Amino acid sequence: MDRREFLKHSTLGAASLGLLGLSLPAAAADAAKLVILHTNDMHSRIEPFPDNAAQWAGMGGMARRAALIEQVRRQEPHVLLLDSGDIWQGTPYFNFFGGELEYKLMSQMRYDASTLGNHDFDNGLEGLQKQLPNAAFPFLSANYDFSETLLAGRFQPYKVFEKAGHRIGVFGVGIKLAGLVADRNYGATKYLDPIATARDMVAKLRGAEKCDMVICLSHLGYKYEDEKIDDFKLAAGAPGIDLILGGHTHTFLEKPDVVKGPNGHQTLINQVGWSGINLGRIDYVFERGTRRPGVAQAAVLPVHTA
Amino acid sequence: MNSSFSGFLFGAALACISLTAGCQRPFYQATAQLAPVTAQPVSKQLSADPKAEATIAPYHQKVEETMSAVLGNAPAAITKNPGESPLANFVSDLQRTRASRELGQPIDLGVMSNGGLRAPLPAGPVTVGSVFELMPFENELVVLDAPGAVVQQMFDYAARVKMALSGAVYTATAEGKATNILIGGKPFDASRTYTIAISDYLAGGGDQMTFFRALPPRKTGVLLRTAISEHIQELTKAGKPVEAKVEGRVKL
Repeated sequence: MDRREFLKHSTLGAASLGLLGLSLPAAAADAAKLVILHTNDMHSRIEPFPDNAAQWAGMGGMARRAALIEQVRRQEPHVLLLDSGDIWQGTPYFNFFGGELEYKLMSQMRYDASTLGNHDFDNGLEGLQKQLPNAAFPFLSANYDFSETLLAGRFQPYKVFEKAGHRIGVFGVGIKLAGLVADRNYGATKYLDPIATARDMVAKLRGAEKCDMVICLSHLGYKYEDEKIDDFKLAAGAPGIDLILGGHTHTFLEKPDVVKGPNGHQTLINQVGWSGINLGRIDYVFERGTRRPGVAQAAVLPVHTA
Repeated sequence: MNSSFSGFLFGAALACISLTAGCQRPFYQATAQLAPVTAQPVSKQLSADPKAEATIAPYHQKVEETMSAVLGNAPAAITKNPGESPLANFVSDLQRTRASRELGQPIDLGVMSNGGLRAPLPAGPVTVGSVFELMPFENELVVLDAPGAVVQQMFDYAARVKMALSGAVYTATAEGKATNILIGGKPFDASRTYTIAISDYLAGGGDQMTFFRALPPRKTGVLLRTAISEHIQELTKAGKPVEAKVEGRVKL
């Protein structure tokens, strides 16, 4: 079966599975499934775009997203809900409440982790510090060094989640702040090379942390023609990441991109636009019986079309 | 259907990955098969989660109340149009007065492009919401110290689109050149430096004002939207209406 044909068939299979709630085929029932749900660049879009908006009229809205996530949670025991930054800025809700409501709603939705986008610095380090108590989820940031700022010790580079009987390592990388964020808003925060940092993360998560799967929350951006680091350069420069959930460039993708690494390893790159217009979903399956330290079999299941 | 699904799922072969620098042991990964559709639209077909809605409600109410708060009254709509426009005059003037107050020095010129102003101010009550629509961006008011050569480039740019500048009058020739430039009532002096109140967006070369890019902006710490809102409030406090007009800053 050629690849195109293959995809078509697999879409059909999983589409009906997702939509109609059919029971899993016997073989799949033995497998542990991890459902990854993700967002990026939600930009304070608490309510749907107004009906008279020039673009995206009536789309998005955090209460609807919460309902969609709840719906998935009712069907799937192992869900990892992740965000790739720029939670803030874009509607009066941020101007008036400084991001309080965004964090509260994400906490209610049980986000597992996010990372910091450039706009998450828009109220300065103090603004971030003020709102952190409203976030019941961690911000993962491996390449911003906050040690000489008032946020020293407030962020962790990575977190390992035990899901579906497997260890999932998630780390975050952010974009260069100089020139993008007003100097006073990031203060003494140091930006470290995302690729070197990501290599260290992969080594640590695959090594000492014995992770079966490595996910990177990236706010670097999808693809740049110039030298600027993007998700493709990250995938190529730091092999061993299974999935890069990107942001910053507000890129809508029909499906994740694949970057082939050494020895047949593949890194998927996905991004779901902005403003919570879409909720990303990628399903991974770990085949039962093959679990030994550092061994995972992963496949991506299509998500149903709406 | 099931067979193709299973084939899809388990057709993936395990692939051993050798280590890249720094790894301590080998790891394995299955070849992932891609889903053609991995994004679910958050659309009207979904009902809203009641708990989230309840969380949003008080904030929504506050936003509505704040947005509908009246800052002042405009006897006529303040509109924008190509060339010299009432709205751009209104905003560029208040930029100049506000920047002058913030930095404690006179400011020679104020610059605001029509493109940077997103909506007219309606006739009647001017609300916080009206100002948000006019200026949704988080642009900051900054001041540039522009040498004569840059100021000349700015006027040539202005002359091509018949754009007015606060603090100046000039003649735009048919060829799109700026002549008879008066700044603060005095003829333009190419040998001196002029202060310009402008948004950080335009100062950074936005709207093709690339000639500004090399100049380091002096910050005021005031958002343009805040400057607009507070100016309207000050007018109201002084018993004045919110108004602006085209007054011949650009002669043709």
